[in-house]
Amino acid sequence: MATDTDTGRASGESGFGRVSRLRGQLFESLTLGASVFGIVALAVLLAYVFWDAFGLAAAEPGWYVVFAGLTLLPAVVFVWYARRHPAVGETSLELVSTALAGVLGGFGLVAVLEVIAGDEVWFTYFCTVVAPLAGLYVYGRLDRTATWIGVGSLVALVGGPIVGTLLLGPLTTVAALLGAPLVYLLTVVVPAAGIVRYVVDDRLGLGNGNYAAAGLLAVAVLGVPLVDRTGVARSVWLLFVTALAPTALVVWNNVADSRWPGVVGPAGVAGGLAATVVVTDLVGITGPAPWFDWQYVTSDPSQTAADAGLYPAIIGSVFVIVLVAVTTLVVAIGAAVYLEEYAPTSGVAGAFARLVRINISNLAGVPSVVYGLLGLGVFANLANLGVGTVITAAFTLSLLILPIVIISAREAIQSVPDSLRQASYGMGATRWQTIRRVVLPQALPGTLTGTILALGRAIGETAPLIMIGVATTAFSPPSGLFSRTSAMPMQVFVWSSYPSEAFQHGVVAAGVVTLLIVLLTMNSIAILVRNKFERETH
Amino acid sequence: MSERDSVDLSGDRGAQDVRESIYHAAFLACAAVSVLTTLGIVAALVVPTIQFVSEVSVSSFLLGTEFNPKIKPVSFGVLPLVFGTLLVTVGAAAVALPVGLLTAIYLSEYASSRRRAVLKPLLEVLAGVPTVVYGYFALVYVTPLLSAIPGLELGTFNALSASLVMGIMIIPMVSSISEDSMSAVPDSLRNGAYGLGATKYDVATSVVVPASISGVAASYILALSRAIGETMIVVVAAGQNARLPSSAPELLGSFFQSTQTMTAAIVQLGLSDLAGGTTGYRALFAIGLTLFVMTLVLNLISDFVAQRYQEEY
Repeated sequence: MATDTDTGRASGESGFGRVSRLRGQLFESLTLGASVFGIVALAVLLAYVFWDAFGLAAAEPGWYVVFAGLTLLPAVVFVWYARRHPAVGETSLELVSTALAGVLGGFGLVAVLEVIAGDEVWFTYFCTVVAPLAGLYVYGRLDRTATWIGVGSLVALVGGPIVGTLLLGPLTTVAALLGAPLVYLLTVVVPAAGIVRYVVDDRLGLGNGNYAAAGLLAVAVLGVPLVDRTGVARSVWLLFVTALAPTALVVWNNVADSRWPGVVGPAGVAGGLAATVVVTDLVGITGPAPWFDWQYVTSDPSQTAADAGLYPAIIGSVFVIVLVAVTTLVVAIGAAVYLEEYAPTSGVAGAFARLVRINISNLAGVPSVVYGLLGLGVFANLANLGVGTVITAAFTLSLLILPIVIISAREAIQSVPDSLRQASYGMGATRWQTIRRVVLPQALPGTLTGTILALGRAIGETAPLIMIGVATTAFSPPSGLFSRTSAMPMQVFVWSSYPSEAFQHGVVAAGVVTLLIVLLTMNSIAILVRNKFERETH
Repeated sequence: MSERDSVDLSGDRGAQDVRESIYHAAFLACAAVSVLTTLGIVAALVVPTIQFVSEVSVSSFLLGTEFNPKIKPVSFGVLPLVFGTLLVTVGAAAVALPVGLLTAIYLSEYASSRRRAVLKPLLEVLAGVPTVVYGYFALVYVTPLLSAIPGLELGTFNALSASLVMGIMIIPMVSSISEDSMSAVPDSLRNGAYGLGATKYDVATSVVVPASISGVAASYILALSRAIGETMIVVVAAGQNARLPSSAPELLGSFFQSTQTMTAAIVQLGLSDLAGGTTGYRALFAIGLTLFVMTLVLNLISDFVAQRYQEEY
């Protein structure tokens, strides 16, 4: 072995007694320095961009003092406490990531239901597709002997959209009579209350689920008069209440026992931030002048920095990512199941499977801009799906992250023990039954973790979107699959070429922060899913 | 339940067999999507390229020293773009390769398991930040920071800050693969060296690194391939000035000036020539094919090195 001669030479040269302690220590510090170099560099850059986005330079010195005392100090104390109590740390991670996910989910619901589909269209397809499917699923859980459920679901899935399109006229009239808030109350909040009841009763065993479900409905309905005063639309309120319901469950689940500091801590830090705002307002200290604020998230792009917003780009990104999530998850799980459960090791099919495996690892190394050229040549021009449309963007990004998701799905399926499969086959289950009832439920958390991380990559991708002609600036959100769209990274890219100081250090910084917050949320959800899963298997 | 009372032992599954084969076919189709993607990429790149070389000869594309798609007479020489790509890649490699290797040595030889548990996810964050964000960092924060160094004349757009930032981005790619191969070096080799009187420094540099050299080399090549294909950092921060230096001082000076890589040229053409039908539109795919072939070859070499020169323990 080559190494034998090398080591012999090295020890022979240094010899006994000439061992340098200093050299070893210097080398160790050098390697440590290298390890933290990139992390520190990124941290400095992030500090700059957050400083700019929140306009902290505008604040008076007094504001920093109040901020340090009321927000930073509690946060530091809590982090110090959580490091010594791992259970508390985990609880607060769970709380913070479900809360962030709730806000993100609220945006997603508003984007997909209210902005893109519209309440009337949503109501139509809810009545003809979603409700029948959910009804069949629940019936199937109650009556295990009903073997026609699978076929029935398929019929509902295929026939539902057709019936919905035929009945679009009368059902939209009904929806118009009900009004948007009532539509969302019936189609979103009430089903969510049903799920809450089931989760509280059967999964968590927290007590009476009926009370929890009634509580959700009561908050949603009784909140309406209060919301009317603030000027937020009723529909938006109802959708956000639904999206934040899981956060309430996390609080309820943890507050009762010894993990309560995990809930109180983050709440205290948030309260401290609110107190900072109130105190500085009362005393009359000038606070920061943030670029990243509610106005920024809800207005259209503009040539003047003060009016510029990211709203159409956010909606566009959400729409595209939802589609990418659905197509990628289905195809990636299918491919992974084929490679791990069906593919033989020999013969034509075996050669095909080997080809697919090699191919997937090579596809993962193809530059993203080349995927953009694929999207331009195949989806936009050949298949005529349109230049810069939502569906072209979604297909292109799906293909881009597919190799990564397939690899993580394969790993998740590989980690399911063979004894489980054999037990299932031993009881007479077919291959599909084994996959559906045994393998997939076990492999799902791992696959989901990988998928969410890959979606985080897709949401920040810019080069492929440029190539397929996604709009650099859009003044209205996309209205359907075939309408042109913008996306958050595209808007950031365009703005970064504006030479004005207000754009470079204000508007773009705020866009970057929006993108990073979305990424952070997705990553913390992925970590949460993984942690939950690891605890269940151990 | 009625199912349990009348168990069917005949083995005849009828409808169930049909269902099983439908699912089998559906899964097969999903797996085929990845092969179709590769075929789609090749077809989407090759077909317009063939048309392109019938308009502009292969030699004037591959050996041309002028890239000028806008002002007539237009020229589509790819060499200035290849030079720009190599320039930025060399700069990124100068940061990422040594730092990545030292990081891998620290993680595998020196770090306590607790520190490793903190450092590894943080390093992964470096690769997870969107590249357009890195480009913005390079343009808005790094370039002014470097310009503050006395004696350094930097353009608003320059290759230096783009390649520095790109280097930071690809550190985790080098460190994670290198560390995997260092961790695979068996402890018996380390203990043997200690037994001969080697210090920890000797073990790290003279035993572990040589023993894991195939993995380190593979990670280097992969990182280079990643740098060559990286787009948004150079588009935002390195500018759009395709040029080929004619002398050695000019070569060094290129770092401080605006330059254009292959990926940046693709984006530039994509933003202007998307309508289709023009030579510029087809040049887009010709450059894309060149880029695809370069990264594919590097990836294959990396695979080959990792497998061929791997030491078996």
